[in-house]
Amino acid sequence: MTTVQSPTPTPTPERPARPAARSGPRVVVRGSGAHRAAQAVVLVLLAAVVIWGGSLDPFGQGQLTRAAIFALAIMGLNFTTGYVGLLSVGHSAFLGLGAYTTGILVVNYNQTAISTIPWAMLVCFLVGLLVGIPALRIRGLYLAMVTLALGVAFPEVVARLDGLTGGAEGMTIRRTLLRPPDWSGFTLGEKDAWLYWLTIVLLVVTFVVVRNVISSRYGLAMHAVRQDEVAASASGINVAAIKLVSFGVSGAITGLAGSLFAMYIGSLFAEGSFTVLAGITLLIGLVLGGERTLAGPIIGGLAVVLIPYYTSGIGQGQASAVLFAVVLIAVIFLAPEGVAGGVARLARRWVVVVDKRPESIGRGR
Amino acid sequence: MSALLEARGLSAGYGQAHVLHGVDLTIEPGQVVVVLGANGAGKTTLMRSLAGLLPYDGELRVDGETVGAVRPDQMVARGVSLVPQGRGTLTALSVTDNLRTGAVGRRDASGVQEDIDRWFTTFPRLAERRHQVAGTLSGGEQQMLAIARALMSRPRLLLCDEISLGLAPVIVQGLFETIRGINEEMGTALLLVEQNAALAMGIASYVYLLEVGRVVQSGAAESFAQSDSIRRVYLGY
Amino acid sequence: MDIFLTRLISGMTAGSVYAMIALALVVVFRSSATINFAQGEFALFTTYVSWWLTQHGWNIWLTLVPALGLGFVMCAVAERFLIRPVRKRDETAVLIVALALFTGLNGLAGWIWGSDDKVYPRLVPIGDDSFLALGGARLYYDSIFVVLSLVLVVGALSLVLNKTGLGLQMRAVATNPESASLCGIKVGRIFMISWGLAGVIGSLAAAILVPVLPPGQLGLPGMFHMLIFGTVAALLGGLDSVKGAVVGGLSLGVGLAMINGYGSFFGGSISLTVALVVIVVVLGLKPNGLFGSRRLERV
Ligand SMILES: Nc1ncnc2c1ncn2[C@@H]1O[C@H](COP(=O)(O)OP(=O)(O)O)[C@@H](O)[C@H]1O
Ligand SMILES: [Mg+2]
Repeated sequence: MTTVQSPTPTPTPERPARPAARSGPRVVVRGSGAHRAAQAVVLVLLAAVVIWGGSLDPFGQGQLTRAAIFALAIMGLNFTTGYVGLLSVGHSAFLGLGAYTTGILVVNYNQTAISTIPWAMLVCFLVGLLVGIPALRIRGLYLAMVTLALGVAFPEVVARLDGLTGGAEGMTIRRTLLRPPDWSGFTLGEKDAWLYWLTIVLLVVTFVVVRNVISSRYGLAMHAVRQDEVAASASGINVAAIKLVSFGVSGAITGLAGSLFAMYIGSLFAEGSFTVLAGITLLIGLVLGGERTLAGPIIGGLAVVLIPYYTSGIGQGQASAVLFAVVLIAVIFLAPEGVAGGVARLARRWVVVVDKRPESIGRGR
Repeated sequence: MSALLEARGLSAGYGQAHVLHGVDLTIEPGQVVVVLGANGAGKTTLMRSLAGLLPYDGELRVDGETVGAVRPDQMVARGVSLVPQGRGTLTALSVTDNLRTGAVGRRDASGVQEDIDRWFTTFPRLAERRHQVAGTLSGGEQQMLAIARALMSRPRLLLCDEISLGLAPVIVQGLFETIRGINEEMGTALLLVEQNAALAMGIASYVYLLEVGRVVQSGAAESFAQSDSIRRVYLGY
Repeated sequence: MDIFLTRLISGMTAGSVYAMIALALVVVFRSSATINFAQGEFALFTTYVSWWLTQHGWNIWLTLVPALGLGFVMCAVAERFLIRPVRKRDETAVLIVALALFTGLNGLAGWIWGSDDKVYPRLVPIGDDSFLALGGARLYYDSIFVVLSLVLVVGALSLVLNKTGLGLQMRAVATNPESASLCGIKVGRIFMISWGLAGVIGSLAAAILVPVLPPGQLGLPGMFHMLIFGTVAALLGGLDSVKGAVVGGLSLGVGLAMINGYGSFFGGSISLTVALVVIVVVLGLKPNGLFGSRRLERV
């Protein structure tokens, strides 16, 4: 872009190549005893939170389930918008597509809820590939417009296909159809607890998978594409394939969240939870939590579920929108890398983790 | 009396890429100065910093006054105007509108009209195409327009970044005669960046030689032209 | 034939509104090379202010003065303090700030004035017989008023752009901000003024459209679809072209009226899906739109 340069004198102080060179923060070697211990403490804390959530009253547990579902959806968005830099405003369509796939298979085709999850992911993966095609040619603002249109058109299409989807009236998945599978040991009465644990397990699995993909060669390629497509393709990366597949995977993850959402909410209708406003909410959650961070989507999921809940009493329920706007702008200005990134930056003042072998490169950021 | 423009320890670059490393440079009122240097030496970077397009470190003084962080329009207001490399005409605007845009900082409407007429006299080819959109002009015509547009603000110092680039020799010859005339008639100081060193040194009184972001040699043009290495590398004889 | 005329008229009316919103987007795009996704919500907010003043006894026409003024100030301030600081970072940051404004302004309007729909008075009151009979079709006066407003806005905007010093500077910045700054133009000031102007146009469009287009009342979700249609119209016309915004808006309005009219055997409206198709087709085949000159990505 041609922009007028700011009049502020630049040369930003160069960051030291290796944080270890600084004297201030404490240095911890990755994989050392101290590092392992710290990781263990974090894991135990997280496990404690999850178990505490399992013992909550149904409403509180439901909120946590919802937050975990949104965290998954945002994780999907992070995959393409964060790591590859393909801005999507319309991921609500994938959330909806996953939800309707599950809804239709359960209601019209008598499938068990859990068996629909792979189908929801597959459908969303394929549609993701399709949406990725425009992304081969366009970026930024224009891609935002395409995805915006996708998000806007989705509810209309759902309303149109009313034979399948119930249209504007909606479709209800009866509670008995959402009975936990026998092998799970949960009874129909414990359906909400079952969904909580199912969501948590899938969230953890997805987290681990994403983490491994991001630090793999494929992750490096995604990073390269985001930074500079020309350079990436010059160094032998198949930019088109990266963009398409990451859009597909992104859609599949968000579709997984959609499938769980259908089980959670039990009733689906066109103008309900899958308008483009939901897509914007996902994007807000991602930016708030922190793009290109692993923890960001989880923070974002908690934020987009809990902030509206706790502010629902203020300003005729409109306060959450205003609060979101204020927090979002504050984040953009003060911590562009989001809450997760900002916290990590602060933490680096006290503790830095370095690799044992200095020549190893390309750690996920 | 203080210099018209003075740079002390000027450093600039693009993000992590540091290009200029402490350049010192002085231009007196009415003086013609040329900066020579190989491709990538940082000449354009220098010109852009002086014009307020790039942030810099170091000190920049106009009429002895330190300017600090400065925008291009503020440099224009101080009498420093840049003809950028690649011309930078406003391609979607007509020739006349380009010239009028060059004078946005001025309040004397009649003076502006006089100047437009004046440059149309100097560059008759522009006059013929005054209603044409600038993007449809030939390269040489665009360069004339870029120079005329920069002069519309009545600068005391005109910065020219490779105005000969990509133009036929006969046109380049004409352009140089024109800017030399402007310097002599109006006392406009010139800072020229040129690949065509022989031509530029023909009208310059002082020369700087820039190599990888540093001034490695400078001096009066006559003494400079005597130096063997300069002759071989830049003058080609 | 009558039914065709009726649809043509309703298409032209809606299209004029889309065109006005597209004009606001175009004015912003010409300076900042971005789409102000919050444009509709700025307009929504000022229209609430206008409505609120009518509740306090103001004449509806008189309320437009503070409403449009507020539109100018809000957009100009947003540009200066929220958009410009993040412009240098990247396009995404600008879009996120615009989406934040979108969410925040909508919420703020709901917070202040409540989320129930308001009856917003018509600028041109019409009765049962306020129409011209056109071969069986009815051309209501307020349709005429909407189209005339568009003509007026386009005329005023063209006048500013082509006949004033400010317009010269705006055209220069639209062509190339850097070259414009080298001419001595205070580019930042032009950005601010452009956003402000877009705010005025958007506010005016909203005040005109609310009573005329469905649902005919002032409500919180009202402007979002308008923004989508405005965006499609602007994209169709070419994002940086005034003429394009008008042609794009009118074609979209008439096109949708025909598709929804004659395509009603599909059942229900498919306007937004059509908009999606238009966006994808335009970006795929002719990214500069019908009259645009800006390249898809500025270097
Ligand atoms: N926009 C830019 N971003 C990064 N590096 C740049 C940019 N423009 C120029 N450079 C680098 O700065 C150096 C000097 O460039 P420049 O000032 O254009 O040289 P010259 O005009 O002498 O040919 C070159 O190494 C070039 O690659
Ligand atoms: Mg150069």
